[in-house]
Amino acid sequence: MSEIISRESLRTMAQDWLQQGGRVFGPVRMESDLVLYSPVSDPQQLLLDGWIRPANSIKLAVLPRHEKLYEYRLKGREVELTPVDLPTAPQLVLGARPCDAGALPILDHVFNWDYRDEPYNARRQATTVVTIACQGHDNHCFCTSLGLGPDASTGSDAMLVDLGDGTYEVRLFSEKGQRLFAGKTQTSQATGQVPSGPENILDLDAIHRFLSGGFESSRWTSIALRCLGCASCAYHCPTCHCFDMVDTGGLYGGAKVRNWDACQFGIFTMHASGHNPRSTQAQRQRQRIYHKFHIYKEKFNHWLCTGCGNCTRNCPVSLGIRPVLESIQKDFQ
Amino acid sequence: MLEALRQRCRKLLEDKTVQLIIGYGQTAAHDPAFPLFITQPDEVAQLVWNEQCFCNLTKYLLKPEIRALGKPAIILKGCDERALQVLQQESQINRAEIYVLGMVCQGVGRPRAPKCESCDVPVPRWADEVIGTPHAPREDQVERGPQSDLSRSERSTLAPRYAALETFLKKSPEERLAYWKHELSRCIKCYACRAVCPMCYCNRCIVDKNRPIAIDTSPTLKGNFAWHISRAFHLAGRCVGCDECTRACPAGINLRLLNLALAQVGEEEFQFRPGMEPSAQAIIGAYSLTDKEDFIR
Ligand code: SF4
Ligand code: SF4
Ligand code: SF4
Ligand code: SF4
Repeated sequence: MSEIISRESLRTMAQDWLQQGGRVFGPVRMESDLVLYSPVSDPQQLLLDGWIRPANSIKLAVLPRHEKLYEYRLKGREVELTPVDLPTAPQLVLGARPCDAGALPILDHVFNWDYRDEPYNARRQATTVVTIACQGHDNHCFCTSLGLGPDASTGSDAMLVDLGDGTYEVRLFSEKGQRLFAGKTQTSQATGQVPSGPENILDLDAIHRFLSGGFESSRWTSIALRCLGCASCAYHCPTCHCFDMVDTGGLYGGAKVRNWDACQFGIFTMHASGHNPRSTQAQRQRQRIYHKFHIYKEKFNHWLCTGCGNCTRNCPVSLGIRPVLESIQKDFQ
Repeated sequence: MLEALRQRCRKLLEDKTVQLIIGYGQTAAHDPAFPLFITQPDEVAQLVWNEQCFCNLTKYLLKPEIRALGKPAIILKGCDERALQVLQQESQINRAEIYVLGMVCQGVGRPRAPKCESCDVPVPRWADEVIGTPHAPREDQVERGPQSDLSRSERSTLAPRYAALETFLKKSPEERLAYWKHELSRCIKCYACRAVCPMCYCNRCIVDKNRPIAIDTSPTLKGNFAWHISRAFHLAGRCVGCDECTRACPAGINLRLLNLALAQVGEEEFQFRPGMEPSAQAIIGAYSLTDKEDFIR
């Protein structure tokens, strides 16, 4: 026995959500070979199947690439600050992957640690996440190595399992999910099948042990030779969350905004003095691996990764996390 | 070709002509090939050569970590070699310190990348050696553009190279602006386009000038237009059309169109194509006492 919903009813649900002033995010085809999560204004834009995973991540719904934090105005010797309203509009993410949703509880740690990040938490609370279980994977996926998988429920409020006939089995994981689907599903005999997903190939505990003593290892130089230092990996990573805060505007007023930032840029750690503690790409790659598989683990008992593979898929030289972890692992096997 | 390439690389390392091979490796047959750095003769079996070899490897000639590895042999396609030529002209490399293995090219991508459809440099011209049989008919029989030694009076036959641009320019200015707004609204400022570009080698890019900020760093429409206009200006007369920026862009923005516009002006107004003729003076960066503009003399 299961509860099912048709694709058309899902679109109607999204339409209702939009009409009530909410925002809807989901997979949209941008180019013939490019699917991106994007805000949608028309539910017909939602592309619910035919892709392994979108090239970006749903973090844009909770941590947009650009947002205003407050406005300022200079009046003589006075500075006037105007707060901006917290983003509390209800948001629906329809069509996330488990490796996207799984990132949200991980992000919650850092945004509620020594400081409670108000815009992040406002969006997070206002967001309902509906995932679609994966019916296939490509050779960049490694979610199973991170304890997730094609039907992992972490971070999802509800999950849809494709029944192959234009309907989906609905699995509910939270009150938000129950509220969303209440009265919209039908009872059926059909239950969805989900494949087992990519092979579990990484021994992360062993990698963590290597990192505990591997800071000065000479391998970082050879690992980083290929890296060109862009942010294609970090900006499409569901778990990467670094940002830069800058003033924009004119002489007498403007706004403090925050924009995504990334650890592979040389300027990321540049001090005002001109000194740069991470002046080489090897140091920056090492930082990326440490943050994800050592620092975050020590601090929050979580890997800062869901194994989605987006970093490699988007990398112009096919690097990203997995090839680096594999090369580290090869050495102690 | 691949066997010949591997053998040559092994020999170059064994007889110590070079200390490093900059070539292509690959994980699975249909995945894009990636840059591979080889220092031991026994590693040459990792080298691949096929239609997935998109990367323009000249970018790596500028990296200090690569330079530290000794004299390199680099595997280049004809279009990549244009970048090498510009880097030499701009005094960024010492050509004598680089061994170039030129590959006769059948084109990259499936279907073939747009740049390959009008390619006129399938055979590298200044390589230390060329691997492959020049003038072999290409598998896909794509019609060739004019050859690189094309005389300037033949410019009217250049249309295939700019076909995509000409189609675009038929749209009204309003339609074109709407197109760029739609495209650039997706730019997230990951700077992958800058990272892969062999011509983007400034120690400190103008978008990284933050004391004070020179270009709005926000990935908003305003900030994105500012970035792309600056980028285009800095590449005018220098972009070699390798299309790496367009391939790298994770937002699928067709930067190629902007680059074609720069290239067309360079060719039509100045009879200049970057990296095509070693003796031709660069449009930007060449200094002349007889320049007709006196502010510059
Ligand atoms: S590091 Fe890579 S694989 Fe891990 S979550 Fe980020 S993009 Fe996905
Ligand atoms: S442009 Fe020419 S040389 Fe470059 S990849 Fe295409 S066919 Fe090969
Ligand atoms: S701008 Fe793009 S096409 Fe031109 S040289 Fe740079 S990477 Fe190649
Ligand atoms: S690669 Fe694309 S998204 Fe990234 S900065 Fe360049 S144009 Fe923008």
